[in-house]
Amino acid sequence: MRGEWNSEQAISAQNLTLSYSGIQILRGIDVALPAGQTLALLGPSGCGKTTLLRLVAGLLAPTTGDISINGQMVAGPGVFVPPEKRQLGMVFQDYALWPHLTVAGNVAFPLEMAGIGRAEREARVTAALDRVGLGAMAARSPAALSGGQQQRVAIARAIVGEPRIVLFDEPLSNLDRELRETMVAELGALIRGLGLTAIYVTHDQSEALTLADQVAVMEAGQIAQLATPEHLVEQPASPKVAEFLRLGAILRLVRDAQGWSCAGRALGPLGGPEVALADVLVTPRALRVTEIGQAALTGEVLAAQFRDTGYTVTVRLDGAAEPGRAIRTVQISSDTRMRTGERIGLQILPERLRWFPARADVPM
Amino acid sequence: MARSVETVSPSVIIAAVGLGLVVAVPFLFIVLQAIFPELGRGSLTAPFSAFAGALGDAKLIGMTGNTLLLGVLVVVLSALIAIPLAVARALFRVPGAIVWDVLFLIPFMIPPYIAVLGWIMTLQPRGYLEQLAGFNLTGFLFSVPGIVFIMTLNSFPVVYFAVSRTLETVGSRYADVARVFGASPMRAFWRVTLPLSTPGLAASLLLVFAMAIEEYGTPAALGSRAGFDVLVTAIDLRVSDWPIDLPGAAILSLVLVALSFGAFMLQRWVLSRRSYEATTGKPQGTAKRDLGPWKWPVLLTFGLVAFVATGLPLLAILAGALSRTISGGLVWSNLGPDNFAAILGDTTGALRALGTSLSLGVAAALVTGLLGALSAYAVVKSRARGRGVLDVLTILPNALPGIVVAVGLILAWNQPWLPVTPYNTALILLLAYCCILLPQPVRYATAAFHQIGDNLEAAARVFGASPLTAFRRILLPLIAPSLLAAMLLVFAVATRELVASVVVAPVGVSTISTYIWRQFEQGSVGLGMAMAFLTILITTALPLIVLSLMGRRGSLL
Ligand SMILES: Nc1ncnc2c1ncn2[C@@H]1O[C@H](COP(=O)(O)OP(=O)(O)OP(=O)(O)O)[C@@H](O)[C@H]1O
Ligand SMILES: [Mg+2]
Repeated sequence: MRGEWNSEQAISAQNLTLSYSGIQILRGIDVALPAGQTLALLGPSGCGKTTLLRLVAGLLAPTTGDISINGQMVAGPGVFVPPEKRQLGMVFQDYALWPHLTVAGNVAFPLEMAGIGRAEREARVTAALDRVGLGAMAARSPAALSGGQQQRVAIARAIVGEPRIVLFDEPLSNLDRELRETMVAELGALIRGLGLTAIYVTHDQSEALTLADQVAVMEAGQIAQLATPEHLVEQPASPKVAEFLRLGAILRLVRDAQGWSCAGRALGPLGGPEVALADVLVTPRALRVTEIGQAALTGEVLAAQFRDTGYTVTVRLDGAAEPGRAIRTVQISSDTRMRTGERIGLQILPERLRWFPARADVPM
Repeated sequence: MARSVETVSPSVIIAAVGLGLVVAVPFLFIVLQAIFPELGRGSLTAPFSAFAGALGDAKLIGMTGNTLLLGVLVVVLSALIAIPLAVARALFRVPGAIVWDVLFLIPFMIPPYIAVLGWIMTLQPRGYLEQLAGFNLTGFLFSVPGIVFIMTLNSFPVVYFAVSRTLETVGSRYADVARVFGASPMRAFWRVTLPLSTPGLAASLLLVFAMAIEEYGTPAALGSRAGFDVLVTAIDLRVSDWPIDLPGAAILSLVLVALSFGAFMLQRWVLSRRSYEATTGKPQGTAKRDLGPWKWPVLLTFGLVAFVATGLPLLAILAGALSRTISGGLVWSNLGPDNFAAILGDTTGALRALGTSLSLGVAAALVTGLLGALSAYAVVKSRARGRGVLDVLTILPNALPGIVVAVGLILAWNQPWLPVTPYNTALILLLAYCCILLPQPVRYATAAFHQIGDNLEAAARVFGASPLTAFRRILLPLIAPSLLAAMLLVFAVATRELVASVVVAPVGVSTISTYIWRQFEQGSVGLGMAMAFLTILITTALPLIVLSLMGRRGSLL
């Protein structure tokens, strides 16, 4: 069934695996990305994001499985199209600007390789540099640019050849936060404006959720969930995905005759699945501060951090600590500043919880 | 390992073929000849039969002992001269430090066989010393101490530069930290600077040892009169004098290779265990201490060493070159440019020898530059299967003394069944120079490739460059500065290379070194000196000028 819509996908990969000397780095990766969409690869360091991107670029060959670009198989059993024949653009994690070429020389390289004449080359280099706001720096050496400027050169180089597909490997991770936020917006505009199909690797969930049409959350060489940003936030597939997206705290609850309890504190009937043990995602929106006397959950304020809309308050929940588990903390938003050490009560809004049936053997 | 459906990069294939031809073939034939004494007749009969005779020979033990003795003595004397100078240079404010560096670099650039001619002119009976001071030191010169002394003058700069550079780096990076934490300057030196500098020192001493056991010119010129045979001269005797004994030469070569390989591996091991030089670029300019009352004694020592190592041999060579007749001695009436005129007039084939050597030098620089770059790429950057073999082939020449390479080339290319052979053409010299000097470009290019992030090449591939284009447009330009320095060094050394040239130069082809050597044997000392002087000018000054224009004078060592 997959083969039928294969040809409509700009990039598709079936059952990809990659091993280095027997160690599996990627396992069973399936991806299908329609033309014009952006796929974000999100995951912790070392989970295989760069490796997957290098497979698509042709810088690595898969151990098994196949990859197609625009319906043509580029890697698979007995097939391997080298990177220079795949006609992609790519922004490397470390930019990989060639230090012996000027900014213009770097950007002109893809056009030169495509055999484009000098006059047209110069015009297109200028246009690409203007597009990223670096028209004035064409003659400089990349070493004489700031990190953000180098990053723009890398982007200009990736788009100058007008590839339909561009791969971005954590392009913003070396920039400071402020610059990163402006650049995310600019990059999004650029990708949409050029109608690019893009794979965007990042370990920053807000970048992924901002830019992508689809997000693949990766974990230890596998795709844990592939979904739209909305779907991902509303219905994370596992506690791990939820934690990685920093949607809220995961609490382990036990059901008895009276209802659910957490670390020996009865919480009452919260709904939830008919199982004895469950993990629950408690987002800040699922908690409300109440009088300490009548609250089911109580705790102590550990920290209060100012964000644009108010305070994000971290609360350590009371209750017997379970061996082998981190201190249970939850986060709430508050309009007022709370003092560290202040004791508060919390009420749970059951309709805003998301339940995961727990497997008792998996320590969190 | 990712399954590689991709075909092997052409760069790797070229490197493999080149290394096979330049390195593997001569080495293989030495081993074969040592095992099969009848190899020269195209027969593989009686394997190992020559070993017993050759290895049981008491003379072999003696020559091996002499070789080791020479190596050790040169190492000790080099250390005695170089270490105090290096400590002074690195930790104290020595006036004119840069000038001393240049003056100590020159003796390293002058091949010992040329320096030795200057020393013979000076110390022999009725030599310059006797003419000026009334006594001669012939007894000292033609003796083991004399050989050691002259070879040391050529090799102590290796130790001097290695130690002064490490001390400077270590001193500024680590010893200052020790000072902050309360160590006195003396304590910081003993507890931090010295231990951290030991690997650099040990490696440079091992390099000196390797250079000493491979040296041909000095033992050949001075040793025979002292009855002092080393392996190199013994091998030379077996391949160039009747009765020719190729199996014996091959077995002695293997012994020499074993010594040389041992020294090299030890050096690599020392450096790989802990090397603190490689970790930083330039030493930061920290405040060096004043010499105080020691200023003049130290300056005097620097001056004395510079004069003995650089000034004296150069002056002696110049004097010899400018003398109309050697017997005429050091008087004004005897001085004139006659010898230079004879060389430039090419009545003695000097210009042709010069031309041959310079073209061979350029060719060797180009070939080793390209082959070195490709091999280093294959070893460092490619993931091609079998690159371990290539790695071994790039390391092997470090353990192949010039005489061994020459013997290997004779054995390989003088086989009667070969339809075509470079033997008896100038090409065989090019092969010899390339094998001997390949380690330089490999070393420089390897270091340079390690500095280049993998993504620079990957980016070129993604943006449409084929493997060869990516190599040519991205990698080669990035390593070009290092590679150029190495190629200049190859040029400088190849143009006046002595031992392989003496052994494999075809009849009728003379190089700079064989020309000088022959003039000396024939008694036309003045002509030889004039040629030697021109050679020093061309092969020492030219690379130094180019390198200093490039701003990396010190990187030669
Ligand atoms: N050449 C290699 N040989 C063996 N293992 C490798 C090699 N390259 C990468 N790996 C391993 O593959 C895994 C995935 O690496 P990859 O670079 O894809 O991670 P990543 O998700 O991009 O991480 P980061 O966010 O830190 O960039 C890592 O565990 C890494 O150790
Ligand atoms: Mg990565």
